[in-house]
Amino acid sequence: MTSSPALVADPTVEVAAVSKWFGQKVAVSDVTCSFGQGLTGLLGPNGAGKTTLLRMLTGLTLPSQGKVLVKGQQPRANVERYKEIGFVPEESALYNTLTGRDYITYAARLSGVTNPGQAASQALEEVGLTADADRAVGGFSKGMRQRTKVAAALVHDPEILILDEPLNGTDPVQRAHLISLFRALTERGNTIIVSSHVLQEVERMTDRVIAIVDGKLAAAGDIAAIRRAMSDIPYRVVIECDKTRQLGAALLSHTGVDSVTIDDRGLHIETSDLAGLGSIIAGLAIEHDVRLSRFAPEDESLESVFRYLVGRR
Amino acid sequence: MNAFLAITNVTIRQTLRPKRAIGLGLLSVSAALTYLLTALGSSASTASVEYNQQQAFDIFLGITVGTFMNIVVPVVTLIIATSVLGDERRDNTMSFLVLRPISRFTIGGAKVAAAFMESFALTGVGAAALGIVAAIRIDTFDYFVPLLVGTAVATAAYSAIFVPLGYLLKRATLIGLTYVFIWENGIGGVVPAVAGLSPWRIGVSAMAGMAPDRFLVELPQFAIGSLTAGAGGAIVKATVLIIVAAAAVAAILQRRDLAT
Repeated sequence: MTSSPALVADPTVEVAAVSKWFGQKVAVSDVTCSFGQGLTGLLGPNGAGKTTLLRMLTGLTLPSQGKVLVKGQQPRANVERYKEIGFVPEESALYNTLTGRDYITYAARLSGVTNPGQAASQALEEVGLTADADRAVGGFSKGMRQRTKVAAALVHDPEILILDEPLNGTDPVQRAHLISLFRALTERGNTIIVSSHVLQEVERMTDRVIAIVDGKLAAAGDIAAIRRAMSDIPYRVVIECDKTRQLGAALLSHTGVDSVTIDDRGLHIETSDLAGLGSIIAGLAIEHDVRLSRFAPEDESLESVFRYLVGRR
Repeated sequence: MNAFLAITNVTIRQTLRPKRAIGLGLLSVSAALTYLLTALGSSASTASVEYNQQQAFDIFLGITVGTFMNIVVPVVTLIIATSVLGDERRDNTMSFLVLRPISRFTIGGAKVAAAFMESFALTGVGAAALGIVAAIRIDTFDYFVPLLVGTAVATAAYSAIFVPLGYLLKRATLIGLTYVFIWENGIGGVVPAVAGLSPWRIGVSAMAGMAPDRFLVELPQFAIGSLTAGAGGAIVKATVLIIVAAAAVAAILQRRDLAT
């Protein structure tokens, strides 16, 4: 068992006390975490160091300090490791004069795939680009370019996928398609690391996140656990009922309830003791003859957790 | 081998854009066109046939050494060779290329090979055109093959130098031009040891080793420096430079941050 939520039991990718600085600027500072089978969301505001960290995972950027191991080896020390890594960079990374099919076939050839043409067709099919495969990628829309990069990362069937903002520029249908593709790969046992600023999409893909803020590891684990660990920030709970004023007044007399506000949607409670509130609310409702229709945490969403993490720094 | 050929093929497709090919192609044949124009100017001359032949040979020598080998070949090769890795960096495609299970030496070798093939496709046309005009004017095809071999050797040697330069420096073309005109042609013209390392002079030494003796006899000293005429030695030097360049690119890709 591992003690830190940033570490997993059977890691395929390990990050050990990694720092990276560019001149005076520290991009990543002493980050230790690991990734195993399944999908992990890498979150952080712009400039937090996500892209630098992902580049270090691939070996594209060398750590100034610390070590990155992919299946026990540093990728640059053994290029054969790249058979097991697929990378979607944030930037364009396309050869504009090539057709989509030529680009993916080229990727397959460089990756040592036995039948590059067939593998390219399959990868194009997986990302839904078969119909446009014979057009030059220079004329592709942003969403198509993203999907082309995803196909290039998938074409050699790697075990580990490192995806830097793979959903950027894609429309809702394409997003849904890519998310279901990533989920399917996760079910096949792949290790997938996705950075994204579209939090709702990350939430749809995974529960496990690693949050980077100002180059440092801010939190790791499943979203609810991260929220629970933020004991210094009171929970926000919404209660919908028929007698908001009576219930609000009753709640205010209880320790653990920090504040109560009322609006059209109901009662909004701030409490540092969510479990305690849960245990007393039914009794209070009976005592004051209040009919409860909803009792739900308001800030256990990834977006709320993320906002707290960024706001703390 | 599959990866080597794939990289070479895609690199040529990416960097030999039509406008660039036309522009550099015209530059490459400019030496032959200039030589042809001098023939039109001297056709009305009433001097003896021997005098005209000697004059035609002197112009051929001057254009071959003073224009084609030391300006056209380096400039054409510079523009192409600096772009084969430089464009990968500029277009952010390095990650696509290097995050693959291929040895860095294969990448370096393929890039230098692509630069050579692409450049020689253009400088070779210029050399062939110059050789044909020479055959018409001085009445012999004896310089045709030596000119092609010398051009190939010089192009290969320049490719070896300019491919790593194109990755390492953002202003590689400017630095390359400074190298050609200030270092090779300026300092190299007066310091024999520097001249001995000059790619275009290595090409001229290859040509001089294969051409009729008259070429070497009348060759100005600055055009060969301390080098010995001979195609074999020149080809070996160019080959060594290519291997060193591929190894240098491999070392760069192994040791440097490749994201920027």
